[in-house]
Amino acid sequence: MLEFKTSEPLTLGVELELQLVNTRDYNLTRGASDLLAAVAKAKHPGEIKPEITESMIEVCTSVCGGYAQVRAELDAIRQVLGDAAAKLNLGVAGGGTHPFQKWSERRIYDTPRFQRVSELYGYLAKQFTVFGQHIHVGVRSGDEAVRLTHGLARYMPHFIALSASSPFSLGADTQFDSSRLNVVNAFPLAGCMPFVRDWEEFEIYFGEMRGFGIVESMKDFYWDIRPKPEYGTIEIRVCDTPLTVARAAELAAYAQALAASLRDDLAWSPHPSLYQVYSYNRFQACRFGFGATVVDPLTREHVPLGDEIVATLTRCLPRAERLGGGEAVAALLKAAAARANDARTLREVLEKRGSLPDVVRAACAAWTGS
Amino acid sequence: MDNLAFLPQWPPLINQMIWVGVLLAVGVAGGEAVQRLLRLPRITGYAATGLVLGPSGLALIGQPLLDELTVFADLALGLVLFELGQRLDLAWLRRSPSLALMGVAEALLAGVLVFFVLNYYFGQAALVAAVAAAIAMSTSPAVLIRVAADLHAEGQVTERALILTAINSVIAFLALTVLIPWLHLEYRGGWVTMLVQPLYLIAGSLVLALAAAQATLKLAQLVGKHAGRQFIVVIAVVVLTVGAAVALKLSVLLALLAMGAMVRNADRAHRFIVVDFGDAGQLFYVILFVITGARLDLGLVATAGAAGLAFVLARFAGKALGVLALAPLAGLKLRQAGLVALALMPMSGLAVVLVHETATLYPEIRAAVASVVLAGVVILELVGPIATQFAIRRAGEAGAEQG
Repeated sequence: MLEFKTSEPLTLGVELELQLVNTRDYNLTRGASDLLAAVAKAKHPGEIKPEITESMIEVCTSVCGGYAQVRAELDAIRQVLGDAAAKLNLGVAGGGTHPFQKWSERRIYDTPRFQRVSELYGYLAKQFTVFGQHIHVGVRSGDEAVRLTHGLARYMPHFIALSASSPFSLGADTQFDSSRLNVVNAFPLAGCMPFVRDWEEFEIYFGEMRGFGIVESMKDFYWDIRPKPEYGTIEIRVCDTPLTVARAAELAAYAQALAASLRDDLAWSPHPSLYQVYSYNRFQACRFGFGATVVDPLTREHVPLGDEIVATLTRCLPRAERLGGGEAVAALLKAAAARANDARTLREVLEKRGSLPDVVRAACAAWTGS
Repeated sequence: MDNLAFLPQWPPLINQMIWVGVLLAVGVAGGEAVQRLLRLPRITGYAATGLVLGPSGLALIGQPLLDELTVFADLALGLVLFELGQRLDLAWLRRSPSLALMGVAEALLAGVLVFFVLNYYFGQAALVAAVAAAIAMSTSPAVLIRVAADLHAEGQVTERALILTAINSVIAFLALTVLIPWLHLEYRGGWVTMLVQPLYLIAGSLVLALAAAQATLKLAQLVGKHAGRQFIVVIAVVVLTVGAAVALKLSVLLALLAMGAMVRNADRAHRFIVVDFGDAGQLFYVILFVITGARLDLGLVATAGAAGLAFVLARFAGKALGVLALAPLAGLKLRQAGLVALALMPMSGLAVVLVHETATLYPEIRAAVASVVLAGVVILELVGPIATQFAIRRAGEAGAEQG
């Protein structure tokens, strides 16, 4: 019914949503149409696409074998985008939210799909000017996709803490490391995949939702992690766009290593208690980053998230090395050990420079210089 | 009779304050009326209000009063020029030299075409035609900035139109400064003055600008990164600089423009955060446009209408040619380039000031230059803002109109 395309397992794809700012006051600006026109003829791997508002641009890699290729493609795309943006006097930056933009000032990018979404979701569409990273991991079948979706769900707090880069919103410190996910939560179809056991069960669920007239395609589910039958992948959607290309590629390598470990661990199977603690753990990670306390549903232990991340990264390192992502996981390990993420960096910049436009200026520099 | 000395005389002596208040009130109402009823830019309404109140209209404001009020307009223009200077993003020009080239091309072509039309077809003296051509190179910064702000414009057409305005204003000034010695030679004589005066004007204005920019940055650092307080700093230093430029017989245009550019480009530590004047700044634009409107002489349209129209068309042709020719190099689509050329149409307060400045020094050519240029300005006062508004809207760069 819902055909799942077979894909080379453990291949990677990365999508990044980026901020377009003007270089006068570093606020978000209308720049997507002009930028897309400017890169239309340029040669680069992957794709450069519009997103829902004119201040966003999305870049994607092609299907990559591993960390090295992801990194190389992202670097190449960054170069092309940067050259065009410089000519147009635009700045490009990472970061999960823009620190002081007002959503009411955003403009919907003019395509039928985006206009429909804007029509349906009202102000949520403009509020959805948040910037995330999506990581695709290839899987062989729908059943594997379901298993991996459940298996990786428990690591979502890891990805949130490691990628968190949205401490500021509407001109103030939100106290969250990642305030971006609060915006995603507002959508009716946010959350997680229901506890289905295999692809067949998922197809039945999907059929019911479609029967209700609530969804038309997988695109309509705004879940944190979801199967993507058209690509033959599972898609992790919780990451904020990091400030640097390096961090983005490293996160993809971590996802690959975790997926590989799960595939190797034939004994493991999903348990519904995972989803009982999911929302709580997710909130903790968004709010406290590495300082969060997460609950293990099986042992009922409360574990400091930072410690758990360090332990998991250490455990994954050999597997990552075999996949070519050892360097990436080592870098994440170093950051996790130091409890350093982009949210902390952004806060430090504000402390030092004293104004939020300066924070965005620093974010642009980090993106270009990475 | 002494007991009643406390009463005012009848009719009471109307002082300047009353007139400024009237101008502001009627001006802002007129702007609103024009916007709501005719969907035209508000500044057209401000200028129309001035025209109606001034000597060309109901003559409620006579010429002597107008001369007194001019100082407010000069102040307002000073602020506009400072804001324009901030648009002169040297980093962008360095990254994209074709943009700088486009600025030079459109200004020069506009000047050249205007010169030929006035000199060959209308038989104006070469010098007069040249001065008019130099003024033709400039675009009204006030109109551009105000229309763009009112429309919440964002995008390439807007950004390029603004930086081109900054460039062509500088070029217009330089052209006039080069022509003045020629003027001097023709009307006053004296080789020394011919060489030293432009030098004094340019170098002196730049030195003043540097001092003013440094003062602004130091004060900005003192008051901290607070937009409201920094705005006061700007007003203070701009007023001071305008006054100093007048006192030292330097160029207000160059001094203020350069000051704005220096504050923007030399602020390594990013102390200065005011990028536009927001709602408070609108006050100055109302003053500027109402007074400019009042200074317009509608009679000129009758006497020099044909030359004025030719002036307008030749200027447009030159600018369009310059922008279109360099569009592919500068990464602009032809359609966008055409809209940029339209956006560059306005001439207003700045042109009036340039005419009066040149004419005050050399009354001999006043009549000839003034009539042609100001006839053109009368036409463009109406047409210019509409062209800019149209161009920005057509480019899809106007934001949602918020009140």
